Amino acid sequence: MSRMGWKTNGLAYTVMKSERGLRGGIHWKDNMIAYAFLGPALLVLSMFLVIPAIMAVYYAFTDYYLLTPDMRKFVGLDNFFNLFKDPIFLKSLLNTLKFVVCVIPLQVGAALGMALLLNKQRRANTFFKVAYFSPVVMSLVVISVLWLYLLNPNEGIINNALRNIGISAQPFLTSPKQAIFTIVVVSAWQGAGFQMLIFLAGLQNIPVDVYEAAQMDGMNKWHRFIYITLPLLKPTSVFIFITTLIGAFKLLVQPMVMTQGGPMNSTMTVVYYIYQTGFTDRMVGYASSMALLFGTIIGIVTVAQRKLVKEDDD
Amino acid sequence: MQKKFRPLTILEYVCLVMLAILFIFPLFWMVASSMKPEAEVYNNMNTFKAFLPSFHISEWFVSYGQVLSRFHLIGYIGNSLFYGGCVAIGSIIINGMAGYAFAKLKFSGKKWLFGILLALLIVPFETILISQFTIIHKLGLVDTRLAVILPALAGAFNIYLFRNFFMAIPESVIESAKLDGADNWQIFWRIMLPMSKPAVATVGTLAFIGSWNDYIWPLMVLTDKSKFPIQVAITAINSTDPVYINQVMAVLTISTIPLILIYIVAQRYILEGLGGSGTGIK
Repeated sequence: MSRMGWKTNGLAYTVMKSERGLRGGIHWKDNMIAYAFLGPALLVLSMFLVIPAIMAVYYAFTDYYLLTPDMRKFVGLDNFFNLFKDPIFLKSLLNTLKFVVCVIPLQVGAALGMALLLNKQRRANTFFKVAYFSPVVMSLVVISVLWLYLLNPNEGIINNALRNIGISAQPFLTSPKQAIFTIVVVSAWQGAGFQMLIFLAGLQNIPVDVYEAAQMDGMNKWHRFIYITLPLLKPTSVFIFITTLIGAFKLLVQPMVMTQGGPMNSTMTVVYYIYQTGFTDRMVGYASSMALLFGTIIGIVTVAQRKLVKEDDD
Repeated sequence: MQKKFRPLTILEYVCLVMLAILFIFPLFWMVASSMKPEAEVYNNMNTFKAFLPSFHISEWFVSYGQVLSRFHLIGYIGNSLFYGGCVAIGSIIINGMAGYAFAKLKFSGKKWLFGILLALLIVPFETILISQFTIIHKLGLVDTRLAVILPALAGAFNIYLFRNFFMAIPESVIESAKLDGADNWQIFWRIMLPMSKPAVATVGTLAFIGSWNDYIWPLMVLTDKSKFPIQVAITAINSTDPVYINQVMAVLTISTIPLILIYIVAQRYILEGLGGSGTGIK
């Protein structure tokens, strides 16, 4: 490992310490050392997070087109007015909301159910845990491509199984009515295992003696669930609910790989539309206004979540 | 002890097993389909044979051989390993250093900077994709490997995670190292990092997995196929005619294997790393 120039030895350090004691401030050498340690991270973060975020805010009010950067001009709120006249944006907003509203109960419900089933001493639990968690291990691209084949309208295993129980083949990803819900199910299937683990940790944090005391008082199983498990699980539930919400808002890879936003824009999501207008169509200004609007919403939800989780901690 | 076969217990097991099937059958189908001739993939759908590899062992790896010779898969996997390795090592060093500064060093503007850092946790990566791309474009880094690696090197969450771990290391350890003549770099490298193995493992693993699974960003910044990571290659292979299902399944399987290995090895550390230190997940 290369030694850097800002090394201090023990003696210098004690001297510095006494100097600082006299002045009460922070020695410039302390600052230099600290900022040398912070340097690489600050550089990367400002380059690829802070500056892009500021740029996105600025671009949102311009008509920046990537191929003619010199012609960009300030257009005020025009982009935002146009957004709400843009049928594809409105559709993508509606699709995103549909996705969010459907995926949360399905995924969180499944995760809670699985965690409750597993919250019991059982030798086979490790196997079940691994099984439920296995889709989490696969990448979004892999699960998207895999389900593309599983859901094949003619030969896919899902339609084959449906035919066996007397249901005609479904055009899961090729029907404008079904596609977004198919993506809901696949996404919930992929993510539920991860949330199950968090729920399980939450369940196991509930002290056993609380249950024992309740049982002594003659509470039945159902009441113990309603009056003990659910309230004590609230911090975990809030955390999971809101992280699912934020994650759902950002839906992008599954529709991109499985349906390319189709059919008839029925699986176009907001983030996918940002990507398309900004990257494919190169309308950076317009895409940035969408990103700003959407980023603000997600930001507010994130802050609300932090506040809620913190309050529960106190 | 309760009796073993009460109706409720049986019902529980039925639920557990049904759910397990629901969650793992695609994985089994993927692996089995990769190990048989294409014509057989959609045969025998109504029997268990759909989930079994070919009965002739000689056919098991034929699709793997074919797809390896048709596409430069080794190269794509090599790219992914390279990106993932750089991002993992870089993340540990860069975020660790910043975490050390926030946890153990005194400097002007610390509170202020830390506040900004926490605020950065809120910025959703997905919404600044486009302006991130314009930065890469302006830096002249489009279609370079650096464009894939650089933005992933520092993360506010990872810095925060390291800081929390380092905070727990007693000041006295540092004081005595200083008396022995160690400088800050040595303290960071020889004491802080080795004493925070769960944090190192967590950040390293999550950074590697994140990089291995990343799709959108490399898709945007790369045009040269020889630089593609495996995830981008998958969608390219899946749309390059002729598409053979068994070969696609082989690619999917290959790209999943490293992740399974990582989860097996690092699982314990990750739970310790994420659960232990006030990251919000309890």
